[in-house]
Amino acid sequence: MTTLAIESSRFGHVEIDPDTVIEFPDGLIGLGGTRYALLATEPGSPFVWLHCIDDPTLSLPVTDPSRFFAGYKVDLTDEDGERLALDDATPVDVYVTVVARSDLADFTANQKAPILIWNGQGHQVINQAPGCDLRAPLFAEVTDAAAPEPGDAGATDGV
Amino acid sequence: MLNITRRRGERVVLGDDVFISVLEVSGQTVRLGIDAPRSVRVYREEIWLEVKKENEAASLAANATLPADVPAPLQSDAGAEVTRSVPVNRAPAPPES
Repeated sequence: MTTLAIESSRFGHVEIDPDTVIEFPDGLIGLGGTRYALLATEPGSPFVWLHCIDDPTLSLPVTDPSRFFAGYKVDLTDEDGERLALDDATPVDVYVTVVARSDLADFTANQKAPILIWNGQGHQVINQAPGCDLRAPLFAEVTDAAAPEPGDAGATDGV
Repeated sequence: MLNITRRRGERVVLGDDVFISVLEVSGQTVRLGIDAPRSVRVYREEIWLEVKKENEAASLAANATLPADVPAPLQSDAGAEVTRSVPVNRAPAPPES
C-alpha cells in the first residue's frame, strides 16, 4: 500500500492511507486546507485529530458531539442543504472542534460549526439548531461531580 | 475599499455570477438579497469571524492535555469509536420544475 507521508509539526512523521483522506472543497472556515485525515492518538479516546495534509502545521482535535451533548443535532439552511446535496440515505459523521486547555473544566467544543463528513468529503457548516454554543463546556458535569476533593476539609457546606 | 452608492432595488455584481441587491433600507438597517451559485458560501461576518477564531483556537491549543502518542490513521473497524448518528436535518429538495 502506498501511503502519504506528512511531517506533522504536532506528531512528527505520520503515514496516511490515501483511502482515508477527506476532501474539504471549501476548507475549514477561515482556515482553509482542502485535504485532511482523521488521526486517532489513542484507541478509545473521545478525541481524534483532524489533520491537514497540505499544511503539516495545521491540526485540530475534534470529537463526536453525541458523546457529550445529549440530543445534539445539526440543522442546515436550505442553501447549505442544496449546496451539500446530501440525501437521507447517506450516513453522515458529525464532529465538533475542541479547544483543549490545561484544565479539563475549560475544554470547550463548538456546537455552532460542526464538521460533516461522508463519502470521503467534509464540510464545516453553520448549525441553525437553536441553543448551540460556540464554546460549550465539554466536561461541565464531570468537573461538577468531582468538585469536592477527597480529604478537602472545606467541602462540608450543607447545601 | 471600493465605495459604491446604490438605491433600493439596485444591484452590485461580483464577477459574473454573484448579484447583491439592496432590498430595503430602513434607518440603520439595510436588507440585502444575495444571488450566488451554490458553491459560494455566504456568512454574516460576525459568525464567520467567531468560527474562524474557534477553529484557530482549536488548532493552536497545547496538545499536552490530550493523549499525544504517535497517531495512527483511524481504521475502519475502529470507526465505531467516532461514527455516530447525530441527526442532520437536510433542507428539502428543490422543487421539481
